[in-house]
Amino acid sequence: MASVRFHNITKVFDKVEVLHGVSLDIADGEFTVLVGPSGCGKSTLLRLLAGLEEVSSGEITINDRVVNEVESKDRDIAMVFQSYALYPHMTVRENMGFSLRLRKTATSLIEERVAEAARILDLAPYLNRLPRELSGGQRQRVAMGRAIVRDPQVFLFDEPLSNLDAKLRAAMRAEIKSLHQRLRTTTVYVTHDQIEAMTMADRIAVMNAGRIEQVGEPLELYDRPVNLFVAQFIGSPAMNIMRGTLSAANGGCMVEALGALWPIPAATTLAPGRRVHYGIRPEHLRLSDGPGIEGFIAVVEPLGAGTELVVRVGDTQLVLVSNYRPAVHSNDSIRLVVDAEHVHLFDEVSGMRID
Amino acid sequence: MNLRRASAEAKLILIAIPILIWTLLPIYHILLFAISRKDSAFAGNLWPDQPTLRNFGAVVRQEHFFLYHFWQQILNSIWIAFATGALTLFIATFAAFAISRLRVRGGRLAMNVALFTYFIPAAFLAIPMYKAMSVYGLLNTSWALIMSMVVIASPYAIWVLKQASDKLPIELDEAARIDGASPPQLFRMVYLPLIAPSMVAIGTYALLLAWNEYLYAFLMLSKETNVTLAVALGHFLSADDSPWELLMATGLLYALPPAAIYYAFRRFMVTGLTAGAVKS
Repeated sequence: MASVRFHNITKVFDKVEVLHGVSLDIADGEFTVLVGPSGCGKSTLLRLLAGLEEVSSGEITINDRVVNEVESKDRDIAMVFQSYALYPHMTVRENMGFSLRLRKTATSLIEERVAEAARILDLAPYLNRLPRELSGGQRQRVAMGRAIVRDPQVFLFDEPLSNLDAKLRAAMRAEIKSLHQRLRTTTVYVTHDQIEAMTMADRIAVMNAGRIEQVGEPLELYDRPVNLFVAQFIGSPAMNIMRGTLSAANGGCMVEALGALWPIPAATTLAPGRRVHYGIRPEHLRLSDGPGIEGFIAVVEPLGAGTELVVRVGDTQLVLVSNYRPAVHSNDSIRLVVDAEHVHLFDEVSGMRID
Repeated sequence: MNLRRASAEAKLILIAIPILIWTLLPIYHILLFAISRKDSAFAGNLWPDQPTLRNFGAVVRQEHFFLYHFWQQILNSIWIAFATGALTLFIATFAAFAISRLRVRGGRLAMNVALFTYFIPAAFLAIPMYKAMSVYGLLNTSWALIMSMVVIASPYAIWVLKQASDKLPIELDEAARIDGASPPQLFRMVYLPLIAPSMVAIGTYALLLAWNEYLYAFLMLSKETNVTLAVALGHFLSADDSPWELLMATGLLYALPPAAIYYAFRRFMVTGLTAGAVKS
């Protein structure tokens, strides 16, 4: 069990700085997900923690011990790679026991630990197989088993589910999460998939262009994104964003955008005339039988459990998700109402949240 | 579709037949001589009237002036070939590991410089090499030939093994590092088992290079008892009345070990051991 701390980390590859002073505290036993678009530096941060790359400046500590100069093998971490990186010439049993064998652990203890990990991961029938004789999901589990037998201070996952098909990915997601709930080992998990981040993390760090944009619990990020980037990155389908101007109307404040007036949370008091980004999540838009903002249905996407509608307002398309099956078709004229308490406002220039 | 495949196959066969004939004709010739009696060797028949194995008997019983040291010479050949193969593998495997996996600074440059030596024909290097061996006092010992052959075989061997090493996913090394493997352990427990098929191919290459070598062997070894069989075969031609049927019988025996090695290792000549390491 261990806490992990990144303090003002920079990383330079061939004169290009890819991490610009990243700081992040990860508590003991926490499942932290680093999420962001490709090239944002999340994998680099993980590899620095693994000791596979050297930091250019800053400090990484595991349990208050600075590990900048410590070899990977002495950091007491285990890593699961996107490609699994199983040793192709070793059986599942040998793959999982390899790290213990290198540590000169007694054979009987290795057997015991491998058997225990195999039981947790349902790998017992495959212990004598070679990786090439396993399916993708099974290889993934072997890679996890290899990490488990070590009983490390920190688990590192580098996009471990990217190579699996959608169904298996969902199953493995749940499996990794329940594994963490059972072992409570500090975990750092890298992914570009915000759904993985939302579903698995205790805390998420959203990264972009070598910086951390926001750190927080999944719903905190979802409900109160600190800036436009986080607002658009977290959530699927993504938040609707439009440019508008605050204006006094109907005895209160509203945002004028796309030729209509959009409500804002009652508690928000802002000077009229300020230009903002107006954000509203798809589930906070509703079709109205009475008055509302006028638009047209562009696309109807039935999801079974609900319906996703693409609505055209002015020259912009907005996405609306409803949990029933509205009787509308393409090109129908409709009216929208907004759940005003769930509106997000961001400064037009800085993109920062306005409360 | 089928017609097209059939026509493609027909073209292949049309190319294959001349190549096959071209390859097999000399071997057929050797065989023809080897199983003919001395007086009928030049009769011009497609198959001897009375095929005989007596020539082989004469060779293995060393029953001719040129064959007095046959067993000694074939042992020389075997020793030199295997020592060259083993030493080349030793050097090339470590070098490829250092260049490709440990990314030793300047490693690629060293490899390219080594490959550059192939621009100079080996025949030109024979005299300097002879001189060097003479300075080392190694002339007329098998080490002179072994070391020359290792020098000639190594650059290519390093290059091939480096190419093969580059194909192994780097994540394997990283996983092993995190698992706690030191570079020597990585080499022994992960790298060697995975590179083994290429090592067999390269070992065979170096071994056969030394086995077939004539010029260097001829230059550096001069005693009847320490020359290789290749040089001994050359001696046959020094007589006015060369015993062709014995030469060919010896040649055929000389060709057997390489054929056996190819046959034994043909399984390793194909790779595919890395399947399952990473998802591609």
